[in-house]
Amino acid sequence: MALTFKLLNKVGYSPEHQWNIFCPLAKLAFAQCTPRMHSSSYRRPGVPPDNTPPWKKIDFNFQKGVKEVKKHFGLLKKELVDHWTGPEGRPLVEHILEQTRVLWEFRCQQDLEQWVVSSDQEIGGRSEAYLKLGKNNQTALLCGTLNTNVPRDGETRYSGYCSMRSKLPQAAFNRLKHYDWSSFNSLHLRVRGDGRSWMVNLGTEMYFSHQKNDLYNYFLFTRGGPYWQDVKIPFSKFFLTSRGRIQDNQQPAWLDKINTLGFTLGDKVDGPFQLEIDFIGVCNDRAHTEEFAYEKYKRNP
Amino acid sequence: MRCTRVLLLAKEACGGPLTLGQALGLPGTVSCAQTPNMCLSRGFRTSMRKSSSNPAPTKREEKKEEAQPSQKSLVTDDFFNRFDQDCRNKATFSQVVDVFCKKDVRRRGHVEFIYAALQKMPEFGVERDLRVYNALLDVFPKEVFVPQNSFQRMFNHYPRQQECGVQVLEQMENYGILPDAETRFLLLQIFGRKSHPFLKYRRMMYWFPKFQNLNPYPMLEPLPQDPVDIAKLSLQRISADLDARITVYQMPSVEEETGITYPHIVGIQSPEQQSLLQKHSQDRPVYIEGPFPLWLKKTCVYYYVLRAELSPPGEKEEEEEIDPERNFYYPMRMDMDLERDLGDDDSFDVDEVEEGLIFAMCMVGSGDQATLAKWISGLQETNPILGHIPVVFRLESSPHEIQAVPEVEETDEEEAIQSQKMTQ
Repeated sequence: MALTFKLLNKVGYSPEHQWNIFCPLAKLAFAQCTPRMHSSSYRRPGVPPDNTPPWKKIDFNFQKGVKEVKKHFGLLKKELVDHWTGPEGRPLVEHILEQTRVLWEFRCQQDLEQWVVSSDQEIGGRSEAYLKLGKNNQTALLCGTLNTNVPRDGETRYSGYCSMRSKLPQAAFNRLKHYDWSSFNSLHLRVRGDGRSWMVNLGTEMYFSHQKNDLYNYFLFTRGGPYWQDVKIPFSKFFLTSRGRIQDNQQPAWLDKINTLGFTLGDKVDGPFQLEIDFIGVCNDRAHTEEFAYEKYKRNP
Repeated sequence: MRCTRVLLLAKEACGGPLTLGQALGLPGTVSCAQTPNMCLSRGFRTSMRKSSSNPAPTKREEKKEEAQPSQKSLVTDDFFNRFDQDCRNKATFSQVVDVFCKKDVRRRGHVEFIYAALQKMPEFGVERDLRVYNALLDVFPKEVFVPQNSFQRMFNHYPRQQECGVQVLEQMENYGILPDAETRFLLLQIFGRKSHPFLKYRRMMYWFPKFQNLNPYPMLEPLPQDPVDIAKLSLQRISADLDARITVYQMPSVEEETGITYPHIVGIQSPEQQSLLQKHSQDRPVYIEGPFPLWLKKTCVYYYVLRAELSPPGEKEEEEEIDPERNFYYPMRMDMDLERDLGDDDSFDVDEVEEGLIFAMCMVGSGDQATLAKWISGLQETNPILGHIPVVFRLESSPHEIQAVPEVEETDEEEAIQSQKMTQ
């Protein structure tokens, strides 16, 4: 029992995530009060656990309340109107016939606010990562320094990563929403790197709560140099990992329940890095018919 | 069952797995072991112990043995610290492993030794050597940790040793080393088929080959020593054009009389870039920008580009008109507006990122203006128009983040914009 508790508490997206799975209604009540935290619930070795009861973290603020109510009712109205027009707010014909969709592009500061940048400073490392707009405000530039010095806390063995992840999509009243990419089969990125290889992570909604650390990963190799590079990654190539360990039992990702998309750098090389992203989109590559690139045996290796 | 308990008790009492036979006595070992070859090996080891000059351990000796494990880690550290920083290489490392293996038949303290060895491997420069890893696995005593019956198989048999074996494999995984048949043979001999290290081995053998050759921009491993070769390789990689031609403008050399060093200058330009540069208006300058970093696995190199600024929006490049009657046999231009359906539209609805054209790239030994000016004068031979276009140096003035520039020394040249009118 204690072990389960520990496992649940170790690393996760958010405390609300657990609420949602155990009791969907409780989430509605709590979600209003506590802002959704995107920092992980990982606790550094040697730091005492945060035992503050949740009701003490509630910030009663009338102004904030009014703002939230406005925001959520606005979202609700948008949802209702969108539902009237068609799926995802577009006419049905367009929805059925669309072959490509641009999910994120980086043209202004608001676009950057949909992303969370984190590095191993959370676990006591010394890497730095910053996300900012590019030269002529048309791209996002993720840059910083990677440092593989392991924090001297006696438990951590590896260090040195920087990552950028999209925030969870949310409907009105902080309900969970998922991206539905089931009509596409490839991820399309236009990037410009500096020769380092990155990892693309897809966070999907899983069925059980113990699967919340599961991610679908694939590599993103950058050429480097002054030219843009179009990368097309089929979703069938993504393999399942849990806490960075590749899993024996593989299954294709559920494309209608995508929560987050992220980029991680952890190539064990100290030094500066940069990745410039023009846009991130999904497309339907009709020449690609593969369902899943890896074997789905019961006992894999 | 009772036999197992006795075994466990004996293990605890002796502190080491290999004194089992001795603690139980030979007949006991035979009764609890199931396969004949196993009891043979155990019997053999017991006899080895007995054949040595030491009589049966007295109480005092047992105390000594108990006190030893606390010193063990220190002792293994001493093995490696005996060598200076200079003579740490593969030969000395394998010498240490050999010394440890020959010191004691029972390999007492091998787990500590292996952990210490794993830590010291990068210092000896053997962290990417598969043979060394196999030699380390060879330190484990053979056939002792193989589970004998279903109960042992069900529970974690010799967990500390298994963990240690997994750790060896994990370090191999971290350095990207694919195990070979010898590793498999050793693991089977040490831990048996149903064990965690062997499972780890199988996972590695399953996943490693899948991802081994995925990188579309592979690099030589190890990289060539010559900076000119590295520059050629990396320029070919970043130019992304098979037509691009590499020119070595200057080989690295040192003039003996004056002691002046000439750094290398390697440039690349494609025919397309040449024709674009021909069309470039002579009123607007071209810029030398850099240094930009490029990573080749573990090394970082820097490159410079020769580029134009974006033309102002009002000034549009007029395209060369081809009059339709130049050729009577087939039309020079077709204006067919094929009606495309929405479902056929595979383009993305984004604004193109507009940037200035790039005319050439280069890598130099030292990124000062004099060297780069030499590159430009070398470029003039193939692009005579460069003699009429002003060239502006914008070194380190770009918003690209370059935190550390170890090789290039340009601290005193911030924003050194110097317009040079090159005259031939």
